[in-house]
Amino acid sequence: MPRSISKLSLILRYSAWTVLTVLVIVVLLADFIAPYDYTAQTRSLPSAPPTPIRFVDEDGKFHSRPFIYEQVLSDPLFGKFTEARDTKYDLGLFVEGDRYKFLGLFPAQTRLFGVISGGPADAKVNILGTDPLGRDRFSRLVEAIRFSLIVCPLGALLAWLIGLAIGMISGYSSRVPDTIIMGVADSMLALPALVIILAVRAAFPPELPPLRAASLLVIIFAFTGWAEIARLTRGLVRALREREFILAARSIGLSETRILLRHILPNALPSIAAQAAVMLPYFLLSEVALSFLGVGLQEPQPSLGNMLSAAADINLLQRDPVVLLLPAIVIALFVLSIGVIKQNLRSTES
Amino acid sequence: MLNLVFRKIIQGVLVAFVVSAVTFSLLSAAGGDALTNLRDNPQVSPETVERLRIVYGLDRPLTARYFSWLSASAKGDLGESLYFKTPVAGLVFWRLLNTLVLGAASIIGAFSLAAFLVFFSARFPGSRLDGILDIAAVAAASLPRIVAALFALAIVVRSTGSAFEVGSGSWTMFFISSLVMAIPLFAVLLAQMHSGIKGAMKEPFVQFARAKGLSENAIIFRHASRAVLNPLLSVLGLSFGTIVSGSVIVETVLGWPGIGSLTVAAVRGRDISLVMGIVVVSSIFVWFGNGIAELLQVLNDRRMLAVESAWPN
Repeated sequence: MPRSISKLSLILRYSAWTVLTVLVIVVLLADFIAPYDYTAQTRSLPSAPPTPIRFVDEDGKFHSRPFIYEQVLSDPLFGKFTEARDTKYDLGLFVEGDRYKFLGLFPAQTRLFGVISGGPADAKVNILGTDPLGRDRFSRLVEAIRFSLIVCPLGALLAWLIGLAIGMISGYSSRVPDTIIMGVADSMLALPALVIILAVRAAFPPELPPLRAASLLVIIFAFTGWAEIARLTRGLVRALREREFILAARSIGLSETRILLRHILPNALPSIAAQAAVMLPYFLLSEVALSFLGVGLQEPQPSLGNMLSAAADINLLQRDPVVLLLPAIVIALFVLSIGVIKQNLRSTES
Repeated sequence: MLNLVFRKIIQGVLVAFVVSAVTFSLLSAAGGDALTNLRDNPQVSPETVERLRIVYGLDRPLTARYFSWLSASAKGDLGESLYFKTPVAGLVFWRLLNTLVLGAASIIGAFSLAAFLVFFSARFPGSRLDGILDIAAVAAASLPRIVAALFALAIVVRSTGSAFEVGSGSWTMFFISSLVMAIPLFAVLLAQMHSGIKGAMKEPFVQFARAKGLSENAIIFRHASRAVLNPLLSVLGLSFGTIVSGSVIVETVLGWPGIGSLTVAAVRGRDISLVMGIVVVSSIFVWFGNGIAELLQVLNDRRMLAVESAWPN
């Protein structure tokens, strides 16, 4: 392979790991990174554009500390905003903001950035603007990343566990149960997945509170996504059970359960564990699709999918496409990163 | 051979049976039927709802309802859609045909481009194209349809201004929809054909063909491509499923009246008989596509017959 290409793939690999690290940090520190509470509404700022961050004031004087002016809805009919240039609000790092629980445990007030001494009456810094209800888009995007990237790995984990259990049973059982189980798995893989997921979702009420909707999605994904893991596990178990060390284990009189759990499983686990990470994009995209269509994770809880549904509105999309498509960019980056790492794993294997 | 066809058909019938039974019981057990909304309507008395339940047979036990649905659908009658007020069978058929047109266009497009690129990479081995194709396959595989569809929509909306209408069924929208559908297909086809032909060009039969004095083009088209055909067919068979699944998002965003947008309408409207019809018909359709692909693989390579009938390992 020419040198420039292998260099490029090295850069791609590092970028992929960087993206994933950043996303994990966002998931862990979402409340700290978001300047405001994701449900807090500022009624005076519906659909405001991103707040311009300035260094030069009205008199042409340069300030080393960035500042903003308050945005005012000057024309409610056409939704036009102007800046009130009389007071300037300094921005800073690690400022006091809305209360939250750090890592969901410790009460805290410090936010990564915001308006210094930002009382409730002060100007708001909305670096991505606000949505039609006056909520800060950036805070919502951060929370959406957290929610989606917690729900999807949970779904993947559950599907992985089910697939692992079914695959081990199938691989270790006699011919007839094995044929039946693998027949079911093959059929599941051959069906149009999203249509089946939607059909199952149709069985439940369309409007659900966020937590219940999330657990419903996790369960639906688990019950539709186990087949690939089960196939892989079964193949590995069938190959391993013919090996000499299993024969040896049996000859010293170990029970079959013990052989399966203590001797076959540890040998099969590494390849199956890698597959779990590879499944993540599939689950994320299913969540995104369902939430986008309005039957997944629902308002007021933001998720990558339901934030995207704002982009399906053509009038909004025409006005500020970049802001509305940011969740899509996050999704694409995540999927691409996993894809690059997967490709890399495969080429090191072969 | 005939044995295989027979087995595939029986398997397909079994799958359709199980899928329909599971979906039917789930949709019924979860409570809430087409009359749920009527119950909240103050103008409709509970007696009327009860009478309607008897009229539509919703008071009968689940198994009885399922078997009457099954016997009716075996005759091609999938019931009436409450949302669209038309028979389900015709609706699903025409919408599936629309999706098939879109899918066929995207498969042809994706295949032609991938084959063209792979031919050049095989013709000039060791060139920079090899690495570029590897990266292109990963990139295209990682571009989710929902992202591609929304970006395409944004570009169209920005460039045509407010004169634009979603669902106008214009040629531009057809072209864009099939392009978005084609991206992931292009990725799998490219990856499969590229690695396949790279492997095949190292095989002894290619060496032999070279020794015979065949031209490089003839080797690629007549010999190496034969070896790539089988995995390619299996990928194409699986693409029926991805087309039906992918159509859900692409058609909803870009407004193509196919099976995907119909599914969304059925789920949103809680149109149970329509959901049933879609699930069963699209499952059978996808199963049929896979089956045909498998048969073609056996026709291309008779050794597959032994693999097919042997104990799977």
